[in-house]
Amino acid sequence: MEDRQLNSSGCATDGGKCCGGGITPFLVGLVVSLIFGWWVFPDMLYSKKEQPIRFSHKVHMESAGMECKQCHVLREDGTFAGLPSTASCADCHSDVMGSDPEEARFVNEYVKTGKEVKWLVYQIQPDNVFFSHAAHSLDGCNQCHDFKESELCAQCHPDVANSDSAPTHFENKLTGYSKQTMKMWQCERCHANENHYGVTNSSNACFVCHK
Amino acid sequence: MALDRRGFLKFIGGATAGILATPVVWKSLDDVSIWTQNWSWIPRNIDGANSYVPTVSKLCPSAVGVKVRLVDGRPVRVLTNNDHPLGGGLSSIAAAEVQLLYSPSRMKRPLKRTADGAYVGITWEEAEAILVEGLKKAKGGDKLAVVSGDETGTINELFTALAAEMGSKSCFLMPGEAQSAAKAWELMGGEGQVGYDIEKSDYVLAIGANVLETWGPVIRNRHAFRVGRPHGEAPAVRFAYAGPVQNNTAATADVWLAIRPGTEAVLALGLANLLIKAGATSPAADFADFKALAAKFTPEQVAAQTGVDAKRLAAVAQELAKAKRPLVIAGSEFGQGGGAAPVLAGLALNALLGSMNREGGIRALPYARKVVPAAMDRKALLQNDLVAWLGKVASGKSAAPQAVVFYEANPVYALPQADAMKATLAKVPFKVAFTSFLDETAMACDLVLPVPMGLERFDDVDTPYGCGQVVYALAVPALAPLVDARPAGDVVIGVAKKLGADLGVAAFADALKAKAEARGASFTEPSATNAHVSNAVLPVNGIALRADVLSKAIDVKAPAFPVALAPVAKLNVGTSKTATPPFNTKTVRRWEIQGKELYVMMNGATAAKLGLQKHDRIELSNPAGKFTARVNLFEGVINDTVAVPAGHGHTAFDEFSKGKGENVMRLLAAGAEPGTGLSVWTSAGVNIAKA
Repeated sequence: MEDRQLNSSGCATDGGKCCGGGITPFLVGLVVSLIFGWWVFPDMLYSKKEQPIRFSHKVHMESAGMECKQCHVLREDGTFAGLPSTASCADCHSDVMGSDPEEARFVNEYVKTGKEVKWLVYQIQPDNVFFSHAAHSLDGCNQCHDFKESELCAQCHPDVANSDSAPTHFENKLTGYSKQTMKMWQCERCHANENHYGVTNSSNACFVCHK
Repeated sequence: MALDRRGFLKFIGGATAGILATPVVWKSLDDVSIWTQNWSWIPRNIDGANSYVPTVSKLCPSAVGVKVRLVDGRPVRVLTNNDHPLGGGLSSIAAAEVQLLYSPSRMKRPLKRTADGAYVGITWEEAEAILVEGLKKAKGGDKLAVVSGDETGTINELFTALAAEMGSKSCFLMPGEAQSAAKAWELMGGEGQVGYDIEKSDYVLAIGANVLETWGPVIRNRHAFRVGRPHGEAPAVRFAYAGPVQNNTAATADVWLAIRPGTEAVLALGLANLLIKAGATSPAADFADFKALAAKFTPEQVAAQTGVDAKRLAAVAQELAKAKRPLVIAGSEFGQGGGAAPVLAGLALNALLGSMNREGGIRALPYARKVVPAAMDRKALLQNDLVAWLGKVASGKSAAPQAVVFYEANPVYALPQADAMKATLAKVPFKVAFTSFLDETAMACDLVLPVPMGLERFDDVDTPYGCGQVVYALAVPALAPLVDARPAGDVVIGVAKKLGADLGVAAFADALKAKAEARGASFTEPSATNAHVSNAVLPVNGIALRADVLSKAIDVKAPAFPVALAPVAKLNVGTSKTATPPFNTKTVRRWEIQGKELYVMMNGATAAKLGLQKHDRIELSNPAGKFTARVNLFEGVINDTVAVPAGHGHTAFDEFSKGKGENVMRLLAAGAEPGTGLSVWTSAGVNIAKA
């Protein structure tokens, strides 16, 4: 005869405890997974990289009174130049201007050698996404909004205006893209917003972005 | 606490539930989908500033004026240049030019043929030494021949001057419309180069001349068509076309007269007869003779010869007579081999219509003066007939030269009776090709020298044949050569020096400067076009209609074959110099090439007469050659005629062209045009049998 008895739920009883540790193993598994999924996995997925030069947007905006568009320019034909070249930085930094050792390093290693800085870009979109900075202008958005330039930029980009160093660049080990690369749902915060239709040229049609 | 099997399963269950509540699965799936698109061969956008280089295409026979768009200094695309006198649109060859820079059949370094027949790469110093040695043996007495595929460039002056210094006058251009026209114009007593002012005409009748595809500055012609027919408004110009196949010009024109191949001059004389009857006249001294000749071409006679019924002929004659600025353009459907008779008859029609040196008519354009003293000028060069000369060499009437230099020319592929031409050239001991691509002619040469492509070099275009104005356009490099190529002009100057000859210019750039100056052009300031236009014309006095020549030249016997042959030329399949650009392979239609088989076109009645159906495999043969193809039914071909797409059947180049289809030139045999002696090959016929 089998010594163990089955309870009404069909579970073998052993001194009043449910077999297999009751609900505990399930909870342990759940918690382990949650910890892995929310804390360990993201850390594993991304490699952390710092910019080749510690760059302070704050110094440039507050002390030098500059605006985003002075370095991140739209060219005459409407294309976006993106990050400034060493030559354009050298318009001011032809020689060391301040006491920051990083500036001195930039001048010595890049300006004087004519080398381009391999800046890490946080938001490169894949080539199947057509994005025009010219179409997302302050003039267009401020028909209704009341953005400052840095606020408009920060709708999509990390808000670096007040930071003394550029954020860490998290590179996805699988895709190679940065963690901050915008996903389509983020574009759709504006593109799928019906309040924008008829007021701006915004549309959520596929062909607007995917040529 | 020991974990039993059941506990373990619970743990797994909890872990699974937990993992689903984290980004692990969902994020991984998303990332994997992105990762699958990260193939190395997917082209990446280049970031950088746009810049534009205005230039002119040296690769496209339309000599289209274009702008090259560069991103960060690298060319990415050829764009239209609406300000350019030869622009206003884009040709399918020019559109492919950036991609062709990277063509797999592009010459990357000088090559010499070794004793075992293989090519080996050599340095430029070795190549020039071989060239000098080879040319030394060809000194004196027409032992050197030059064949150029560039009809409009100053480069010809350097090559012909080198030949002259070597004691040779055997300099030739590849056959084209310009030679037929130059012969006809010369016979009429005209000065300069014939120009056609399509832009200002209100009625353009093209007889044979495929004006919107292969004749003259095609893109300028298309631009004139577009401007003359604004969308939604009444057209300011009507186009009529006469030819055996509903080609791109016929399909676009308001009127298409289907005529048998090789009967262009007959149609022109039939129209002349009707116009003279309606009162048209000409101050030409031989008008009476011309009138008598034209009178023989009654509508019935024309209908019998050309296949155009009398009513349609009369309707076109009336439209011509009614037009304020009519213009008749005659030529060959596929841009070559038409002889002088159609152009002569076409120009005579213009004379009857009062179109000589009139706005929207014929313009006599001055040639530019030579800038290389010993060179042959364009007029003289156009008089030399390559096909006739090769015929003489083949038959032994002329001695084979010791050396031939080919400049961007591919006669082994592009001349009539291509097989026989190849055999004739094999008689020449030393053959050199200056070329960007390893084409059929380069494959038959002893020394192959890479030249920079049009986008990589300074060059020029001086008034392409057909243009209604003097246009001098400079080709400007958009990038440095991607391969070890040298400008042919500078190589020729250097080689001439080593042979003890001074061509009178220190560098090719100096020759270009001098030519620009000769045309009154100045390129010292930045320009949106790098082109110069002049409205200079020569007087047209004492033009003769040459009924004596026409009466002989028009005596065309219908080919003694059951089916007439009509080659159909289209720019998208490239030229003999480029083959089909990979960029354009998708524009080759389904029933033009299938796999490696060529499709030829005939109408339903012709097919029924021959007992053929669509897709039947047939053999086309005549004494010149034979090949097999399949049948495509197309009602845009005149009865008893087979239309064969030209530009296929390469035996060189790359996977995009080599071995695809057949070369129609193998079925064309050149004959001498009575009265002018010019080589003609537009009246061919074939036997067709099921294969």
